[in-house]
Amino acid sequence: MIEVRDLLKVFDTRGQVVRAVDNVTTQVSKGEVVVVLGPSGSGKSTFLRCLNGLENFDAGHVSINGLALDDPKTDINAYRREVGMVFQHFNLFPHMTVLENLCLAQKVVRKRGKAEREAKAQALLKKVGISEKANEYPSRLSGGQQQRVAIARALAMEPKVMLFDEPTSALDPEMVGEVLDVMKTLALEGMTMVCVTHEMGFAREVADRVLFFDHGKLLEDAAPSAFFSAPNDPRAQAFLRQVL
Amino acid sequence: MIKHKKAQWPWHALTALVLVGLAISLYLSTSMMAYEWRWNRVPQYFAYQAEETQRAIDYGSVQEIVVSGSTATVTLSSESGDAQTLEVDADSLQLSRGDDVAEGDAIGVTRHWAAGPLAWGLWTTLWLSVVSGAAGLLIGLVAGLCRLSSNPTLRDLSTVYVELVRGTPLLVQIFIFYFFIGTVLNLSREFAGVAALALFTGAYVAEIVRAGVQSIAKGQNEAARSLGLNASQSMRHVILPQAFKRVLPPLAGQFISLVKDTSLVSVIAITELTKSGREAITTSFSTFEIWFCVAGLYLLINLPLSHLASRLERRLAQSD
Repeated sequence: MIEVRDLLKVFDTRGQVVRAVDNVTTQVSKGEVVVVLGPSGSGKSTFLRCLNGLENFDAGHVSINGLALDDPKTDINAYRREVGMVFQHFNLFPHMTVLENLCLAQKVVRKRGKAEREAKAQALLKKVGISEKANEYPSRLSGGQQQRVAIARALAMEPKVMLFDEPTSALDPEMVGEVLDVMKTLALEGMTMVCVTHEMGFAREVADRVLFFDHGKLLEDAAPSAFFSAPNDPRAQAFLRQVL
Repeated sequence: MIKHKKAQWPWHALTALVLVGLAISLYLSTSMMAYEWRWNRVPQYFAYQAEETQRAIDYGSVQEIVVSGSTATVTLSSESGDAQTLEVDADSLQLSRGDDVAEGDAIGVTRHWAAGPLAWGLWTTLWLSVVSGAAGLLIGLVAGLCRLSSNPTLRDLSTVYVELVRGTPLLVQIFIFYFFIGTVLNLSREFAGVAALALFTGAYVAEIVRAGVQSIAKGQNEAARSLGLNASQSMRHVILPQAFKRVLPPLAGQFISLVKDTSLVSVIAITELTKSGREAITTSFSTFEIWFCVAGLYLLINLPLSHLASRLERRLAQSD
């Protein structure tokens, strides 16, 4: 489903060259839930952003469902339609109500009729448990509610893959659970997911595979049980000692 | 510290007192010089009763006069036997029945209300502001987006435009438009004036638009793009609506400036408010009164404009 080969992303700021993603090769098959772990600055967010072209990479191959990002003939907008993304800071559109947030892309990109897109939006809001907030503006919602709206907004496009970029890092601790619950439901329904997160519990419980990044390199690719009990790489061992 | 709620009205009363004091001292100082205030001369420059003289078209005599209310219907019979019927105001009638009239003789006048020079000037200022404001907004939007474009040519051209226009005085631009470009392209003075004002406003609006768009968090565009919107859809549906809300105060300021700057096109003989004020002074000699009126009329346009802007601002703030 997702194929990444020799992905290289270099940040060059005032002569300081940082290899943010350094020769990463991996693949994710359909229905798989992959959690990406690593210390901050390890390139895991950059890796995720490369998967839907928010970050231009320098070399390598990224494809989802056979559509290759490195192929200049690929329509990036058509590609992104199939890839949902959830951000750390929600990035809801503050000038639109929750319902309008969910309907915008359906209308502009999918060209769905008003009744159809609103029915879809209402169904998704119900699924994430905030149907009563449909006509509120995002600023009236708590962080957890906003993140659930953001997930619903991405789902409204019926993506084949969902990318999560630290979806719970900006939330108050009491709100983390509600967002993780939505993500778990999604995983159980068979959605292909790549999650950058610091929620070890989620990784252990839901993930099919754990990827561990440090300094842009993919150091470990293992099932969660193996990763958490006996990581191979010394840096992964050190990381787990810190966070667990 | 505990916050005590203090009454606000004594301060407002003090403000009123200061303003009244200023007005009184202004009045006293003008009364010390030999200036005679003649406010009664002013209204005729807004609207006056225009008189139209009705004349006989041929030699003949007055056949009949029928007075009904304030109008009189005069029937003239000419030597050739044709009858001419005229309606004039009764109090202006200068003939009685049987009088002989010659061709072109005044029979009487009809009166109707006509707009005076200040009213015409106000109207000219209004349409100049609206037309050049709308054009300036459009130019500014395009130029502002060009400044943010990834295309170097568009970026360079818009930068040159903004820098050229911002770096030269509006008065000079108006002269260049009228005397140089206007002569080359054979433009009317109104077109030259509107074009100069629109280009001038456009340069400032471009900078406002650029600042507004740049102030929107990068994540908004990323979220829109990640949903499959292309760059222009994201700009139109996500970035610009938010940017517009943010730049409304400077934008309103720019349009208020524009209304005032229309006074400069009087130098190329467009009779807008300022020029009609000067013309009114040449016939009334009421310099002080007319200038106060002209200032008041500019306020009449600008105060509702700022009121409108702040109302729009409040309406857009409902999503905060």
